[in-house]
Amino acid sequence: MNLSVKIGHVTFKNPVTVASGTFGHAERYYNLEEVKRLGAIVPKTVTFHPQVGNAPVRIFETPSGMINAIGIENPGIDGFIAQKLPALKKTGVPLIISILGHSEEQFTGIIERLNAQDGIAAVELNLSCPNLNHKVLVAQDPVATTRLVKKMKSLTKFPIIAKLSPNVTDIAEIAQAAEDGGADAVSLVNTFSAMAIDIKTRKSRIGNFTGGLSGPAIRPIALYMVQKVAAEVKIPIIGMGGIMTAGDALEFLIAGASMIAVGTGNFINPRAPIDVLEGIESFMNEHKISDIREIIKSLKK
Amino acid sequence: MEKIQNTYKILANEKLSPYYWRLVFDAPDLAREVQPGQFVHIRTDEQGLQPFFRRPFSVYRAQQYVEIFYDVVGQGTRLLSLKKKGDTLDVLGPLGVPFKMPPEATKQVIMIAGGIGIAPMLILSDVLKNKKYELVLLFGGRDRGYVYPMQEFKDNGVKVHIATDDGSAGVKGRVSVLFDTIEKNPSRTFIYTCGPNPMMKAVQAFAGEHHLSGQAACEEIMACALGACLGCSIETKSGFKTVCYDGPVFGLDEIII
Repeated sequence: MNLSVKIGHVTFKNPVTVASGTFGHAERYYNLEEVKRLGAIVPKTVTFHPQVGNAPVRIFETPSGMINAIGIENPGIDGFIAQKLPALKKTGVPLIISILGHSEEQFTGIIERLNAQDGIAAVELNLSCPNLNHKVLVAQDPVATTRLVKKMKSLTKFPIIAKLSPNVTDIAEIAQAAEDGGADAVSLVNTFSAMAIDIKTRKSRIGNFTGGLSGPAIRPIALYMVQKVAAEVKIPIIGMGGIMTAGDALEFLIAGASMIAVGTGNFINPRAPIDVLEGIESFMNEHKISDIREIIKSLKK
Repeated sequence: MEKIQNTYKILANEKLSPYYWRLVFDAPDLAREVQPGQFVHIRTDEQGLQPFFRRPFSVYRAQQYVEIFYDVVGQGTRLLSLKKKGDTLDVLGPLGVPFKMPPEATKQVIMIAGGIGIAPMLILSDVLKNKKYELVLLFGGRDRGYVYPMQEFKDNGVKVHIATDDGSAGVKGRVSVLFDTIEKNPSRTFIYTCGPNPMMKAVQAFAGEHHLSGQAACEEIMACALGACLGCSIETKSGFKTVCYDGPVFGLDEIII
């Protein structure tokens, strides 16, 4: 049975990975079998400078989901390389490093430092970052998306994955822009802008005022977006948004994703990625499917 | 650690007082590993997602079995209270940093707990009993309904002092009215505390005033409980720290309440 999938020149042994920010810097747990069998690990987004993150409250539980505003707490690229990368490499699982710059110069600085490292499979650009001179994110501007992807592609040999925000009018347009810039893949979706209010205090439940919604609550919308992007771009898609079970993951694969990421589901069931992987294998056995490619983008109309 | 998520069988789930429930589950591996102050993260709605998050509980006792102690406050604990003997329980654990043992010169160990904050103190007294320490528990609760499990502490040789807001048990007032019983000797006295933030703030102020050191077990709403999501961070003197992974136990003077 072949579950391997390819992004750029890199082959991953299976299509199951984790969404950035849901698999932290928690080295104490790297020995868990839940970690070892992943197709890839995507650690929490790394920025150029260290970030302490947002003041609490950072999370709020919602029906079948959660709002978060963590603020990309991370040790910065130098701290990441010194303190986090060695333990991540030791897991033996291919690493997709998620990065975010608050400017093109910062993205460049991060990429240059990563270029000097081995043991990295690919780089994911978190495009939910400020777009200079605009009041929107790079992920909300096709021109800025193309430009940033193109620039990063010119600076590195690593495959480049563009992580897209769902907070746009037409996500396929942004995916197209990333493809135009030379992206090797797109990953979608990031969280949906959201909030919750404490009616007693009439204040936001979130320290940062607003946050991003994730979890099964967003799954049907994320699935729709993956399907829409798959219809318009040729590069592989890493699909995510509320995946908790193999059935959920198969929907994304059928809709057109080549890989799928378990995100918030990890918080509820740390075994979810393994359950998903084993469930996909069972599905393939049951339906006498020998290659995962027979499932990917097999949506019928 | 190679496995952190397990399914265990419930041996008992009983209401002990108007407020408290105790749930006992058969987890010999967890019972061997868990240390005072550590916690477990339980999926209360195993078939569904309501509530979505797991719920964290301090381990109350871990001998042959693991016991947790809880108060029904919302949907998660309500579902937990409906579980029956023989049902299974989806548990992550043991999690978090445990209490440190008292420094060498310690003679008097003061445990200061408010309400459900009593939970990690029994397992602590299980570990500290029959040693050289004088063990003292200062417990504060709203009313006498909150003062249930004291016999188990007494069996461990703990001197128990109680304060209730309405005076229906022990002394009337907040737990701070009991601070007189503490020997104010920085080299001999060590404090462990767990309870609502206003109480821990009072304990912190008292300890600071008399140069007493100690440890505090904190509580926060958690998603992963594995140090991944960074959702349960609190402010400490050395920046934001996760309650689940850097804590739940912190130095009493470390946390900014």
